[in-house]
Amino acid sequence: MSFLLPKLTSKKEVDQAIKSTAEKVLVLRFGRDEDPVCLQLDDILSKTTSDLSKMAAVYLVDVDHTPVYTQYFDISYIPSTVFFFNGQHMKVDYGSPDHTKFVGSFKTKQDFIDLIEVIYRGAMRGKLIVQSPIDPKNIPKYDLLYQDI
Amino acid sequence: MAPPQRCTLCRQTFFCGRGHVYSRKHQRQLKGALERLLPQVEAARKAIRAAQVERYVPEHDRRCWCLCCGFEVRKHLSHGNLTVLHGGLLEHLASPEHKKATNKFWWENKAEAQMKEKFLISPQDYARFKKSMVKSLDSYEEKEDEVIKEVRRKGLQKPEPEEGSSAPASWKGMNSQVASSSEHLSHLDLQPTPEFDWMETGQPLTFIGHQVQKTSSGATPPWMIQDEEESSGNLPIGPSYEEFLKEKEKQKLKKLPPERVGANFDHNSSTSAGWLPSFGRVWNNGRRWQSRHQFKTEAASRNKKGKS
Repeated sequence: MSFLLPKLTSKKEVDQAIKSTAEKVLVLRFGRDEDPVCLQLDDILSKTTSDLSKMAAVYLVDVDHTPVYTQYFDISYIPSTVFFFNGQHMKVDYGSPDHTKFVGSFKTKQDFIDLIEVIYRGAMRGKLIVQSPIDPKNIPKYDLLYQDI
Repeated sequence: MAPPQRCTLCRQTFFCGRGHVYSRKHQRQLKGALERLLPQVEAARKAIRAAQVERYVPEHDRRCWCLCCGFEVRKHLSHGNLTVLHGGLLEHLASPEHKKATNKFWWENKAEAQMKEKFLISPQDYARFKKSMVKSLDSYEEKEDEVIKEVRRKGLQKPEPEEGSSAPASWKGMNSQVASSSEHLSHLDLQPTPEFDWMETGQPLTFIGHQVQKTSSGATPPWMIQDEEESSGNLPIGPSYEEFLKEKEKQKLKKLPPERVGANFDHNSSTSAGWLPSFGRVWNNGRRWQSRHQFKTEAASRNKKGKS
């Protein structure tokens, strides 16, 4: 399923994507194509991309190819999905400790669509952090480790 | 409140008394007025060295407004058929009344003292100008003499011109003009030119006729003549298709809410290699701008660990 979505393989390409996506939510999935959870996430992403084409642009980024961004976004679990709007990062409160990215896969396609819509509306209103519409039961649980501890 | 006074430069009544002259507006107006006057004076100053004599044309009756004296002054000095360019203005600028008025103007309006010199012409300069004027009048007269001789020769060689009456008419016109100019030259205390036998009594009008295309001769009207520049492949007027699409995009952008995130983000700006997007850190409450220090320290420590 990952072959259906566009991939970014270098920092420059990621920069380009972030800067050139205008007036649409930019979804960057950080992970590896072979990882099982990533495969699930990629499946959902590819199936919803066309419906969300006017609101969002989706790209896949391999964590091994872009170490800069892996460290910059503090990615320790894959898949991690980061959202941008007009070059500005969008934070979402999922009920999990990390608001900067969505860790894990979505349970249903509708969850993802709802999330994108909420992010889009929030961005249009000028909000940099929005409240996630996804049921907390469907959000994957993980332990966030402090750095340097 | 001081009594109301009218400032002619600003064209305004003010109640500030002496303070008005130092205000920004007044100085601005003053600067503008002087800037407008300066080119005229400079042109006149150039004419001191090389006075030019031209045939009289009604345009030479134009007058120049002298800012300091507050009245109009004839720009060019004309006498009969000839004009000396910038003669009138120079004469006025060298006069003592103008000097007094300029001093008064500078003092009252508090203009820059260095600028004042530029607007004055010393009597020595004026004397120089008179000399060069005499010289140029002489040379003009010589040129006219030569022209007359040329025409006379041509007239003798071609007693029957092909173009009907126009050639002798033009010849006569120029001739009489030169003759009248020579008469006037004598007024200026110069050597009188030799009188020619065929001179006619004065037609003071300038003859500009020549064999020209007229409607009666069946020529095309000027507005029908295609210009040389317009012939190169008539491209369609208006924007191209891509521009139209871009305009459509811009229209759509206008409709978006202005407070949206990143509304003023320049999507086309070039970035250095070290560019990173705006990203708020995980453990920080603020956005990237506040968290950049943390990232820098992390990067530094990571590099250190990696190297050492």
